[in-house]
Amino acid sequence: MTRKLLIVGAGMATAYLLQELQRYRHALDITVVGDEAEACYNRVLLSNVLAGENSESDLGMLGEAGENAPHIVTGRRIASIDTAAGIARDDAGDDYFYDALVLATGAGVPRPDVDCDGVAGVRVFRTLRDARELRALPSKGRRAVVVGGGLLGLEAAHGLNELGFATCVVHRNPVIMNRQLDAEGGLQLQRDLERRGIAFSLGAQLAGLETGPGNHIRGLRLADGQCLPCDLLLFATGIVPGTALARDAGIETARGILVDGRLRTSANDVYALGECSQFGDTCFGLVAPIREQAAVLAAELAGAQHEPFRVADYPTQLKISGVEIYRAGELDDSAEQLVLRGRDVYRRLVVRDNRLVGAVLVGDKRGGTWYSELIAQGRAIDALRPGLLFGREVGEALAAAA
Amino acid sequence: MQNCNTTCPYCGVGCGVSAEVRDEQVIRVMGDGDHPANAGRLCVKGTALAETLGDEGRLLHPALWGKRISWDDAITSLALKLQETRENYGPDSVAFYLSGQLLTEDYYVANKLMKGFLGSGNVDTNSRLCMSSAVAAHKRAFGEDIVPCSYEDVEACDLLVMVGSNAAWTHPVVYQRIEAARRANPQKRIVVIDPRRTASCDAADLHLQILPGSDAYLFSGLLNYLVTVDCLDRDFIDAHTDGLGETLQAGAGIDIPAVAAATGLPAADIEQFYEWFAQTPRTVTMFSQGVKQSATGTDKCNAIINCHLATGRIGKTAMGPFSITGQPNAMGGREVGGLANQLAAHMDFAPQDLDRVRRFWGATDMTPGPGLKAVDLFQAAADGKVKFLWIMATNPAVSLPDSALVRRALERCDFVVVSDCTAQTDTAAYADLLLPAAPWGEKEGTVTNSERVISRQRQLVPAAGESRPDWWIVTELARALGFGEHFDYDSPAAVFREHAALSAFENDGSRAFDIGALADITDGDYADMTPLRWPAPAGGDAVEPFSDGRFFTASGRARFIALRPELPASEHGELMVNTGRFRDQWHTMTRTGRVPRLSQHRDFFSISLNPEDAARAGLAEGDMVEVGNPLGRVRGLASLDAGIAPGQSFVPIHWSGQFTAAGGASNLIPAITDPHSGQPQSKFARATLTAPAMACWGLLFSRQPVNCDTLAYWSRIAVAGGYLTLLADAAEPAAVHATLSATLPAAPDANGELASYEDACSGDYRAAQLIDGRLEYALFLNRKRGALPERGWMSSLGGEQPAAEDLHHLLAGFSPDSEDAGRLVCSCWEVGETQIRGAIAGGADSVEALGVALRCGTQCGSCVPELRQMLAEPKADCAA
Repeated sequence: MTRKLLIVGAGMATAYLLQELQRYRHALDITVVGDEAEACYNRVLLSNVLAGENSESDLGMLGEAGENAPHIVTGRRIASIDTAAGIARDDAGDDYFYDALVLATGAGVPRPDVDCDGVAGVRVFRTLRDARELRALPSKGRRAVVVGGGLLGLEAAHGLNELGFATCVVHRNPVIMNRQLDAEGGLQLQRDLERRGIAFSLGAQLAGLETGPGNHIRGLRLADGQCLPCDLLLFATGIVPGTALARDAGIETARGILVDGRLRTSANDVYALGECSQFGDTCFGLVAPIREQAAVLAAELAGAQHEPFRVADYPTQLKISGVEIYRAGELDDSAEQLVLRGRDVYRRLVVRDNRLVGAVLVGDKRGGTWYSELIAQGRAIDALRPGLLFGREVGEALAAAA
Repeated sequence: MQNCNTTCPYCGVGCGVSAEVRDEQVIRVMGDGDHPANAGRLCVKGTALAETLGDEGRLLHPALWGKRISWDDAITSLALKLQETRENYGPDSVAFYLSGQLLTEDYYVANKLMKGFLGSGNVDTNSRLCMSSAVAAHKRAFGEDIVPCSYEDVEACDLLVMVGSNAAWTHPVVYQRIEAARRANPQKRIVVIDPRRTASCDAADLHLQILPGSDAYLFSGLLNYLVTVDCLDRDFIDAHTDGLGETLQAGAGIDIPAVAAATGLPAADIEQFYEWFAQTPRTVTMFSQGVKQSATGTDKCNAIINCHLATGRIGKTAMGPFSITGQPNAMGGREVGGLANQLAAHMDFAPQDLDRVRRFWGATDMTPGPGLKAVDLFQAAADGKVKFLWIMATNPAVSLPDSALVRRALERCDFVVVSDCTAQTDTAAYADLLLPAAPWGEKEGTVTNSERVISRQRQLVPAAGESRPDWWIVTELARALGFGEHFDYDSPAAVFREHAALSAFENDGSRAFDIGALADITDGDYADMTPLRWPAPAGGDAVEPFSDGRFFTASGRARFIALRPELPASEHGELMVNTGRFRDQWHTMTRTGRVPRLSQHRDFFSISLNPEDAARAGLAEGDMVEVGNPLGRVRGLASLDAGIAPGQSFVPIHWSGQFTAAGGASNLIPAITDPHSGQPQSKFARATLTAPAMACWGLLFSRQPVNCDTLAYWSRIAVAGGYLTLLADAAEPAAVHATLSATLPAAPDANGELASYEDACSGDYRAAQLIDGRLEYALFLNRKRGALPERGWMSSLGGEQPAAEDLHHLLAGFSPDSEDAGRLVCSCWEVGETQIRGAIAGGADSVEALGVALRCGTQCGSCVPELRQMLAEPKADCAA
């Protein structure tokens, strides 16, 4: 007999889960409820849409509607769950009965650490709607300040910069993308973005806002006293897992909704994946682990066998405003360093005990996946060493020649 | 476009060259098919002549104490300084040091000015270092400096004995003629006598690898052997010679065992050689620097000549003692008397000679006697006796023995004038006055080669900058000094006519050197002059010297020279040092060093060692080696060569401070000279071998030469579009990188781009700089020499134009698709060792097959001996 599967949230995690489920011949009657007007679009490409480099039609992630295609409800937000009864209710008061529930509620934007209440021109960049609204704003001759020098902030800044805003990125850490890059790699990326017209104010503490007529944003004051004038203030200071719904339903949460290796929450027949979930100490913001979660969960729901989910060392692989970035392993400053520096390129490999343990590549990620393999395999690299930093072809050719 | 026949400016073979000239540019050169010396052949140096022309690195304007001045001012200061010096310190405080590179006309005018009008005999020449022992030996035996052989004799003889000659590399075209004759006449035998197994041994039936300097024992022993086997030409001896008795007495007891002991040769080999010599009437003994550059060089030459006199094998076809000279016009210099111990036109300082020449010249201040020979001349300068020294077309700071002494001399001398075509030489660095002299291709005149053939060097292109021919410079000085009426030359032809007239002046057959037939040669005929072998007396009927049994001693009889062989004195250290030339370089590389393909056969400065000696010193091929003695030291890469006998080493003579850090062979050579000729013992020194540890090796490609003098070793060659420098130092790569970074050309961010790589733990540092999209330099440093990029790849960087995005990838030091040709073996067709080994592995089993496959060895043939060696090596090695 068919079981009812309810998926709460229509983001990328859900899209991956649906893709994975198509691998199985299952008897699930799937309903997806999402609060946005559009379901399952590629959020990663939003900054390109903002920049006009992709159109909205490029974002779709749902396959052709076919046999046991999911029933998708948009514009509704699930407001509560009764895990004992197996019922979820949306904000219009409609109930959804389920045999299995998947929480894919994604993440939200943290509260700014300055008071912005009621100030016009202060925005976040998270959804397609945000992107549309930002694109609709007049940009010529206008100034935008983006708070947050991480992946999201830089992508937003790139988008705004392409839109024509004079854009400045404010970041608490002196190094942009300090989660992924080392100081020199961050500086290299910063130089590249500066060459594209983006300004930076780093190691900055926010002090407050300057507003003008109609309480519209006029500038951002920093702790050091300087004020960055702007017509648009965008917060992109990372994400917070969406746990409210789960918490209210009595499901165990920490930073995120706690799941085990089979993506099960503390409640029977309730699962979670994606940015809202937490496995051990880890929450997730990048695509790779979430795809892995989707694969594990799809098997679980289809009653198939699958290796339990593990947190692996996923390499970071990005492209920010055309600049390739690759980061894998640990950047141990006390180990041996191989460093290549060029005008548009910074490549660093970390070697310990004749093993490759870390890699950070900015501007040219040639060899990135090879490095991840070498790190994973823990192979001795002495023969490869002279050409290692120049990618697989050169590295192996030189090793063969030696 | 036009074709112009001229003569090659390199070795003493004196090949005819046919140059293709288009819009004042020499497009290419080929061998002159009509020239008797080479009949169309050329060696690789000659083939590359066109590439040595052009303004790069040229001295283009006169300069006094570093400031550019006009020719008028240059001549004036030259004259004033010279007069002032003579007035204050006397005629012998002034000296000219000339060169076998000068043309006969240049030589004649300089010699005439000094010996006839400045009252001093202080005119000497770098030919002193080259063949003056042969001159002295000829004069002792024949009464005149006469070479009684030709290249045709070398071809026609049945036994060719090559003594101290690596003709395959130093006189390649003669060697090619020998090989061709050998193919035509399988009975022809070749014996090579040399302490090294050289490329010339390739053609030898017998190689006598004697101990350095023991040649005279071998030939004194031969003379005794000829007596014992009764192979003497009694009739000739009785009719045409003196002194056999005393000579045999002096050499008494030097039998085969004694020779074996002195030379280190197996008795059987000695006997074999003696037998062949005794049995073969048509024997030519060709001898070169190996015997001449010795403290007993004159005796060695005479020991050889004695054997030819004893057998009457002289003055006849396909027989005779044949001294091959090193330089293009050493012979012309000898003819005009451009040596301190000659007067002019084969006349000496006997009163009647002095008087004759004085009258002919109308000399106002005739030298009373001989002047100072090269080494004594520089010693006198070092002692403060010679205060005005004019050096023309030579680089004594590199080529004279005991470089430290030469440097002291050049420092101490009040006024040093250097006329040269190259702006930066080790000698020019000491010049007060620099004069731009027109080099080969930019001047007119004549040269005489080793077989007495006089041929024309012709102007092919206009003189660069303000360069002037040397004869013009000296003539202008003579005029400025008030001798205008005696130096009334408007052209080299006018000088040549006077030179020819002097050779015939009151000669009447008393001097073999007589070219009176040319005394009235018209400018037109001089312009069209074809090669001509002297003598050429007025009225024709030239007699080949000695063919009539007449010699030019007072008695008309040849003289046997009694001599007692001596081995070179041994001091300072166990290692014997031998010196000599490489195949593709000339002298101190001022011209050949500019041609990339001539630096590929032997690239960086290296020292050849016997493999066992090297192993004992813990040295592998390419390791750093230092050879030193109390006089000085050289530092180079160890080159392991089984052709070098144990306990010996070989240092090439070409390297100056312009091309390597410490490569001057002369730094090791004591200023010991032959008592008769004054020729230095340049081929023998004692030294000790050390193996300095290098913590850093590097290869640097750069558009401009980069100063690396702070490093323990550097050696630079020209490559396409720039220079390639090999570096080494005792300091760690990090430190060397820091030092060099300060020296390397930087570029403002706007139009420059720098890429760097560092692996500090491995001591692996790399950097490359683009300026305006063009690679300015690429530097690779590493603790391990073997970790550096292929030299072939490095040499190609100047040609490529790496795009900016490729710059950091260039630091990989290698292009996956590039195939390295390896060390250049055939310079004509630029075929590398790797290619050749590949072809051999692929089945090419003969020199001809290799020629078909790769064209190597098919033009100048200089590399054929090396090709044979590679073919002879076991296939296993070929794979390596």
